[in-house]
Amino acid sequence: MDTSTVARAPHVHPEPTSFVWKYLFSTDHKVIAKQFLWVGLFFLAFGGTLAMMIRWQWAFPGEKVPVLGIFLERAGGMITPATYQSIFTMHGLIMIFWAITPILIGCFGNYTIPLQIGAQDMAFPRLNLMSFWTFVISAVLIVASFFVQLGTAAAGWTTYAPLSTNVGTPGPGQTLVGLAIFVTGVATIMGGINYVTTVIRLRAPGMTWMRMPLSVWGLWLTAVLNVLFVPVLGSAALLLTLDRLFGTQFFVAGAAGVKGGGDPILFQHLFWIFGHPEVYILILPAWGMISDIIPMFSRKPAYWYAGTVWAMVAVTVLSAVVYGHHMFLTGMNPLLGKGFMTFTLIISVPAEVLFLNWLHTMWKGSNRFPTPMLFSVGTVFVFGLGGLTGLYLGTIATDIYLHDTMWVVGHFHLTMAAAAFLGSFAGLYYWFPKMFGRQYNETLGKVHFWGSVTFITLVFTGQLIVGFAGQQRRLYDPYQYTFLQHLLSANRLTSYAAFLLAAFQVPFIYNFLRSVFAGAKAEQNPWEATTIEWTHAASPPPHYNYNPIPTIVRGPHELANPEVKKATGRDWAGQAEELPSGGEQAPQTAVPQGA
Amino acid sequence: MEEAIIQRMGDVVRYRPPRAREETTATMGMVLFLGAWGMMFAAFFISYGFMRARLTSWPPPGVPLLPWKLPLANTLVLALSSTCYQLGVREVRMARASRAWPWLSLAALLGAAFVGLQLVLWKGMFAQGLEPGSAGAYSSVFYGLTWLHAAHAVVGIFGVGYVAARAVMGAYSAARHLSLRLWGLYWHFVGAVWALMFVSIFLL
Repeated sequence: MDTSTVARAPHVHPEPTSFVWKYLFSTDHKVIAKQFLWVGLFFLAFGGTLAMMIRWQWAFPGEKVPVLGIFLERAGGMITPATYQSIFTMHGLIMIFWAITPILIGCFGNYTIPLQIGAQDMAFPRLNLMSFWTFVISAVLIVASFFVQLGTAAAGWTTYAPLSTNVGTPGPGQTLVGLAIFVTGVATIMGGINYVTTVIRLRAPGMTWMRMPLSVWGLWLTAVLNVLFVPVLGSAALLLTLDRLFGTQFFVAGAAGVKGGGDPILFQHLFWIFGHPEVYILILPAWGMISDIIPMFSRKPAYWYAGTVWAMVAVTVLSAVVYGHHMFLTGMNPLLGKGFMTFTLIISVPAEVLFLNWLHTMWKGSNRFPTPMLFSVGTVFVFGLGGLTGLYLGTIATDIYLHDTMWVVGHFHLTMAAAAFLGSFAGLYYWFPKMFGRQYNETLGKVHFWGSVTFITLVFTGQLIVGFAGQQRRLYDPYQYTFLQHLLSANRLTSYAAFLLAAFQVPFIYNFLRSVFAGAKAEQNPWEATTIEWTHAASPPPHYNYNPIPTIVRGPHELANPEVKKATGRDWAGQAEELPSGGEQAPQTAVPQGA
Repeated sequence: MEEAIIQRMGDVVRYRPPRAREETTATMGMVLFLGAWGMMFAAFFISYGFMRARLTSWPPPGVPLLPWKLPLANTLVLALSSTCYQLGVREVRMARASRAWPWLSLAALLGAAFVGLQLVLWKGMFAQGLEPGSAGAYSSVFYGLTWLHAAHAVVGIFGVGYVAARAVMGAYSAARHLSLRLWGLYWHFVGAVWALMFVSIFLL
């Protein structure tokens, strides 16, 4: 890497050495990424535990909860209807805002964006620090809400009014959770502003938009959506807080409303204007990451890179105009409903492009299957299932029957939970050697994968089945309805699958902790990957990542190119690697299929 | 050598002094932040329109009408404050930075006057019997939206006060006044949101 750099003159601070400034209040994006990872993993376990309690209740309604019963002492170890409300509410909120968001966006966004575009840090490192600690404040609020009178929030993760107003949930727990949602939204917006600006302003010389790794594309589009639509959620949370604390009536109606009161449906509009983009906020990072990981392990360039990019852009744009499909049954004008239905179904076109591109990348590749690749393929699989089952919900005729059934729960868990979960692990195993400078145990990783993908698919397929049979979501004891009693065995089997899914996270926890602290030392580029965080930075990368900043000479997946093979003897060339023959603009697309 | 590299990179790298680049980056961050906050206020206005469109009469019968004279005066106060701010910025740009602080201080004082007049407005409406929950959507929109706006105005007063203090200390020059420009963007944003509130809540 001789002269191919343009010197940048940032006011470079020396690397901090004290514990507090190095690990707690660091402005280094790599440290902040790991902070988000640890907090996110903690809440993933927290939300997962709540899910186990829900599954227990559906398998053995009203029976004493083993082990976790100690948290339910006052009810004699059983889940009461009120507690059940809180449990499923907090499961949803914690998983979305305090587990998936910090892991996918907080951790991978922070870690990969500067490294992959060749920046020394984020555009606004101090804002990044503030973003994390604002997020911590929201986490404190959410944990505190469990310890107040009447318990934590109980109005569902959607927090629909009027249930979420003082009329439905008078306790301070719901207020704290509303504030926590606002505060975590502020943290997300801070991060979003940082990511959007960083990608626009701090790309290395030669890193044009269409040479960016697809992870960066996915995370950047996510950040754009965050900046645009999280504020709308913030507005809903603020208005709800005003209603709860200061007596306004934005969402209060019916007998409690004065002079007509406000409008609970308004809350649904505000919530879903944010809520539908949020679905893509949670999946776009995973799409981007697996779009990079699959080519690296198929040893082929990503099939139709530009198609993947524009498909993600199309989904991002369309996600803003389909929110009404969550509200078909709110008395919406049928013509409006048809419009929302049309846009919703159009999303399957770009989604199909992505799907086919992943398959086509693997097709006739020299596929290798270490853990990150397995998790990527698993993500493709569960996302396919989730996407297909969504068609029935986007279509008004079938949605009328399926609305608010377990089918909905199964569908959105396959996309938002299963695909985001497996996608997160794909990214975590892939960048693990880079992040921690150590190698994880491959066998345990594979055990974790096969257990997770098997049982996560079974759990959410089980939900689809009982939903199709007519079981409504959120029921405390579904078997109080005679027409649902025969579903007990199906639900019980699903619950066993869920418990096994939880059990298969034990190898991960062991593997993760052991490898972080005592794993074998990792090489700089164990995957023979082509992007610059692998080719130009040590594992783990030093403070300020690159010195000097590499100059990018080609696209992100220079694999299986015979000219490169002739020049270097390898089947890959790094994004910033100048070939000995001087052919620095080696063509990326001229690869005969099946070579 | 560096020139050769830049030439080679062609349109990929536009060479500029590092500080100018960093200032553009910071401005972009501020614009994005205001865009996000604009979305939040847009959601407030949508909420208002949504609720008003669904009610048969606005205001509901037997509810005191909102005044327009005091809010109009307040609109002028904020407009004047923004103008003073820009005059201060102009002095700095014209390399007369020592003359900027009176304008900036005046802008901060006018901002404080705005919040003071809002207090008078709220107190007056309370005295007439209009409380946050006493007239459903009508009173909620009036109090809720003006409170949320005032909270942003208070932040802005501190910001404008901060840049005024910096100007007193002589921290700004024609070449370096980034925080002055960024707080200006924020302050004009607060003023623009208020102008929309004035028209849509008090006039329409």
